[in-house]
Amino acid sequence: MAELLLDPKIRFWVFLPIVVITFLVGIVRHYVSIILSSQKKIELLQVQDSQVMIRARLLRENGKYLPRQSFAMRRHWFNNEDTGYFKVQKRAAASQNPMTDPGMMTDMLKGNVTNVLPMIVIGGWINWMFSGFLTTKVPFPLTLRFKPMLQRGVELAYLDASWVSSASWYFLNVFGLRTIYALVLGENNAADQSKVMQEQMSGAAMAMPPDPKAAFKAEWEALEITDHKWALSNVESDLLAITEDNIE
Amino acid sequence: MSLFMKIISKEFTEKEAIDLLRQFRENNERRSKEVESIGMLYNTNVKNASERYMIMEQMIFAMLDCHMYGGAAMEIYCLSQAFPGSMRVMRYKAMLLEAEEKYDEALEILDRIIKADETNAPARKRRIAIMKAQGQITEAIKELVDYLKKFMSDVEGWQQLCELYLQAGELQRAAFCAEELLLHQPHCHLHHQRLADIRYTMGGVENMELAKSYYCHALKLNPDNMRATLGLFLTTTNLLNHYKSSGNSSKRKEVWKLSQWVQTKAARRTALNHSTQLTNMMLNLAITE
Repeated sequence: MAELLLDPKIRFWVFLPIVVITFLVGIVRHYVSIILSSQKKIELLQVQDSQVMIRARLLRENGKYLPRQSFAMRRHWFNNEDTGYFKVQKRAAASQNPMTDPGMMTDMLKGNVTNVLPMIVIGGWINWMFSGFLTTKVPFPLTLRFKPMLQRGVELAYLDASWVSSASWYFLNVFGLRTIYALVLGENNAADQSKVMQEQMSGAAMAMPPDPKAAFKAEWEALEITDHKWALSNVESDLLAITEDNIE
Repeated sequence: MSLFMKIISKEFTEKEAIDLLRQFRENNERRSKEVESIGMLYNTNVKNASERYMIMEQMIFAMLDCHMYGGAAMEIYCLSQAFPGSMRVMRYKAMLLEAEEKYDEALEILDRIIKADETNAPARKRRIAIMKAQGQITEAIKELVDYLKKFMSDVEGWQQLCELYLQAGELQRAAFCAEELLLHQPHCHLHHQRLADIRYTMGGVENMELAKSYYCHALKLNPDNMRATLGLFLTTTNLLNHYKSSGNSSKRKEVWKLSQWVQTKAARRTALNHSTQLTNMMLNLAITE
């Protein structure tokens, strides 16, 4: 089969511009999100709740290192029907509708402005501006399954699957420039779009603040069924055994 | 040659000095004298802005430790120019005042930080440190208990409270704090040893038994822990005396075995270190046996 030959002008007018545009848009996104980002105010109560949860979990996991009495005392403090921490502390259930919270609304809006909007606008513009070009070829053969991924916008049934179209080249750049951003902007930058996409995949459940009431109840249950097993009950014989092994 | 001598005789290149600083930061080593002398003798102006600021922070701590308040004030001024209105820089100002023993002014700044940001745990801790520095142990304990009610999984806080209670002589409460430390870091032999020390000091058969268990566990985690070895020796001697009088033969036998074991272990260690004094002291203690 005769090899396709690409016009060298495609390199200068399609291939490289897409790389440069994607890169620069990422940089701009990073700085815009810095400007727009608002320091999330954490409530003292929230901190306290999370720390209590950690402590209760540690008691469950490492309680075996405490004498039975100390363990029971702590569990009593958490779980007692009348005075236990998990029973006494009344937390309001988390607001069900994020629309009622204006702070969250602005956060969502800012997130959309910096993440979704440029993606749609730039992606659409690239699709329109550079549509229908083959830009490059991956240096290895690929199966037909890759055609919709690598040849978006060029629907030719008999074209070799290793050719990459301009729209697909844009997407490859979006996902592939992460390490370059990390080099240029440092770690934890906001330029990376693929991270945003993953977040959107995982759904809105993550974004909702966890409900302390439910979490308390779950932790209360877990602690209630935890049995105390004194881990140091035969540490003396263990110790003697270990050293005897060593001597032998 | 010690690291400090190497630094002051300028044996390192600039890059090596900066690497050294980074190494201290990563390993959480304070090493104030070394850090401070690096700051004096080497050019620590790195290009990377975030690392430069981190080095500046490190310098501030080191200079405060070395009583070089002028230098620290200069670094803090630079940082406050770079980050106007930053709580972190405010806290350094408070620390400078604290180091100069201007406690009231320091407290004023810290109170302002806490008012602006209730969740600022380091500022709260500094308040407690100031009280401790002023020798107001009971107030410091009160404040620290209050702090720990809010930040319950702060290991350092529990450790500090444990020490404060020990100073105040409240062993039962100190034991509680030590147990809390164990919950947070169950694989640290020093925490086990600390709890065992407290239990041993509290006295009584039950506490002795607990102290024995914890000393054993500390030794299991780190066989070279000499303090735990000697502590175990003391507890077993104590327990042997008790069981001899109460006539519990099976337990007595167990403890005796343990005691023998720890004696040989300690003897081997002391023989290595050629400290006859320690051997004599141990012999004196064991003479009742």
